[in-house]
Amino acid sequence: MQAGLINTYQNPMQNRQWPAWALSAALLLSYLALYFTEFFEAPARALGLGGKWTLYGLLYSLAMVVGGAFFLRRHGNSRYQRIRTLSVIFFQVVFAFALPIVMKVFGHQEYYFSYFWPLKIEYLYPDYILRQPFLVVLYSFVGSLIVLPVAGYFLGKRFYCSWICGCGGLANTAGESFRHLSDKSAAAWRFEKHSIYAVLALAIGATIVVGLNWAVGRDHPDFAAFAFRVQQWYGFVVGAFFAGVLGVGLYPLMGTRVWCRFACPMAAVLGLIQKFGRFRITVKPDMCISCGNCSTYCEMGIDVRQYAMANQSFKRAACVGCGMCAHMCPRGVLKLEVRPDRAKGGSPIRVYSVDL
Amino acid sequence: MERIAILGAGVCGIEAALALRHREPTTPVAIVTDEHDHFFSRPALMYVFAGQMTLRGIEPHDRELFGRMGFERVRGRVTALDTAARRLAMDVGPGIAYKRLLIAAGSKARPAPWPGSDGPGVHAFVTLRDLERLDTEARPGGRAVVVGGGLIGVEVAEILAHRGVHVTFVIRESWYFPVALDARESALVAEHLREHGIDVRLESAVQEIVRAADGAVRAVRVAGEEVPCDFVVTAIGVVPNTQFLEGSAVSRAPSGAIEVDDRLRTNVPGVWAAGDCANVTWADGSRRPEQLWYTARDQGRIAALSMAGDEAVYRRGTWYNSAKFFDLEYTTAGWVPVSLDSENRPLAPDPGLRTWFQRVPGAFASERIVCRGERVVGFNMLGGRWNHEPLLEWIHERRSLDWVLARLPEAQFDEEFERRFRVSSAAQLS
Repeated sequence: MQAGLINTYQNPMQNRQWPAWALSAALLLSYLALYFTEFFEAPARALGLGGKWTLYGLLYSLAMVVGGAFFLRRHGNSRYQRIRTLSVIFFQVVFAFALPIVMKVFGHQEYYFSYFWPLKIEYLYPDYILRQPFLVVLYSFVGSLIVLPVAGYFLGKRFYCSWICGCGGLANTAGESFRHLSDKSAAAWRFEKHSIYAVLALAIGATIVVGLNWAVGRDHPDFAAFAFRVQQWYGFVVGAFFAGVLGVGLYPLMGTRVWCRFACPMAAVLGLIQKFGRFRITVKPDMCISCGNCSTYCEMGIDVRQYAMANQSFKRAACVGCGMCAHMCPRGVLKLEVRPDRAKGGSPIRVYSVDL
Repeated sequence: MERIAILGAGVCGIEAALALRHREPTTPVAIVTDEHDHFFSRPALMYVFAGQMTLRGIEPHDRELFGRMGFERVRGRVTALDTAARRLAMDVGPGIAYKRLLIAAGSKARPAPWPGSDGPGVHAFVTLRDLERLDTEARPGGRAVVVGGGLIGVEVAEILAHRGVHVTFVIRESWYFPVALDARESALVAEHLREHGIDVRLESAVQEIVRAADGAVRAVRVAGEEVPCDFVVTAIGVVPNTQFLEGSAVSRAPSGAIEVDDRLRTNVPGVWAAGDCANVTWADGSRRPEQLWYTARDQGRIAALSMAGDEAVYRRGTWYNSAKFFDLEYTTAGWVPVSLDSENRPLAPDPGLRTWFQRVPGAFASERIVCRGERVVGFNMLGGRWNHEPLLEWIHERRSLDWVLARLPEAQFDEEFERRFRVSSAAQLS
């Protein structure tokens, strides 16, 4: 039993009853106002924060700190959960909030050091690169193209999605009470496999188009206009609408990882790497009692119980390695592990009736 | 009538039905239950009570399973079995005919034997009905007495405490769960329970359930003292759910468990029995039912093969199990001697056994390794997560204590970054 989860299913806010719909509507409206109006500019300036995005960053970081404390009160008895939560809060507060402000103060363009292409698609847009200092460009390229894939191979995508990323960070702190609302159906899994790779294709396509435009756009005004529209539409539909408005706005109705699961291109890349990498969830054989805590509290909608019941260790592209399935399991059946695939030597021989 | 009837929709019955469907794609299979339309995980009922999960959430399969597999769902309670006519009589409807029958009726709570036990306010926690009844009675601020020092008792204490009920946990024996834990381990569990606000009373045999003039439970008289309470939950074990076989030709042990051979056949042709209600041979040669989740599952699968005509034999492997006492996890494997007899007297230690034990410094945990001569034969691990597979492997490989102690970290199954096993100075061999 997890003390913090008692009466989860008796709380209207956590069961898609009217308070949840109201909260969702309020979040959606706030995000729409943030992204598409100047509504938050005046309060931001009144607070001396310069602009609405700094105010947003402050609120976001605060939500993660407060939500993180809430999470640790529930699950801080696990060292994995403690380290992961402190890490994700650190990266948000320092890399995604404090450092960008410092840069701005020193007259540089702000840069969010915990985000990389393709999640922050503009970080590989040529005109964006050209405005950055060389070290930042190096950081961005090495991060996106070398460090993240390699770390994903050796540690699983969790090292980013559950330890560094602000999107996952908000989900696992302020959004913690909604994790059980993720859709566990097979239909949702089918949809996810199409949608997430479609968005990845869009992200790669948009990057190529914008990159080409930088090279040839001056001589081909039609292509330049097309590239401009692609850039704008990707930013609007994926960056603002999916990641921001729906990503957080649907927390109270569809769980916390809607964006991460169905649309994040970074999660797509890291998921593919994870599938061939060393991270897996190991299942202890013949100990599962089919209770379903693991599946219920999987924020990515993975039906973990089916693997546990079948004694089948598994790698799933979607798994962000939050570790809650293992943490919740009342029989200690699941373990997050990184190790090379063992040679297929069959399962151990079962021995019966030994004299003891 | 070609029909196979499976009596019981627990893990044993469902696993049998699925295995039978695999072997016989078209034979009609009827599953009889009076509890719920779908298979659910019985050990998870506690999470439904606590609101941590829903009833739908503890159903491991999708709700189309019966339709997809062509299982006929028969709701009702079986009242009698006529093996000559191959018919089950039921409390509703005309009953059903079968050609082959699997009895997987499971257990039910052992009834409370004390004066005052009959009447409202005395609960058990085994079935879905038990849960519903307890749910309406357990209110925050209420007072409960939980009787019985086993696994169900500690689970009930846990869910009631989380609901804000004041729990007095009454245990007849000198320490909690003596069938599996020794005095040192049990003291650790009791300390943990007390930290969670449970009033643990040891060596406390219940004498009477005291009722007020209106019939409501007022107190439980324990060892001469009245413990006031609003309701009682008894968790003093389970008994085979086989009363409906009274007068039938199916042979049962005095405990009520159905006698089966190693192919899980009863004495009556065409009738098999498996799971909690079946009397099977244990590794030590004794005949008892195995009241465990995974053995019920395995027996269901073997019974299905046996019913399909295969030469499938059920053999219980080396003992292992796991449990959780509030937040304290417990894993056992192999031979760990019982420390008290059924009359609560300390059993004389087996002179052939040596025990390595340590209370883990700086952690709420202990580790016990039982050796026969040079060879390790059993493990009792408390407060950490252990993988029983390597532990069993080492027992089967007849490894020595030193060999095992050196490799024990390989069997740890804790979450990442948790402590690594090491031999402390507190370790003692006796």
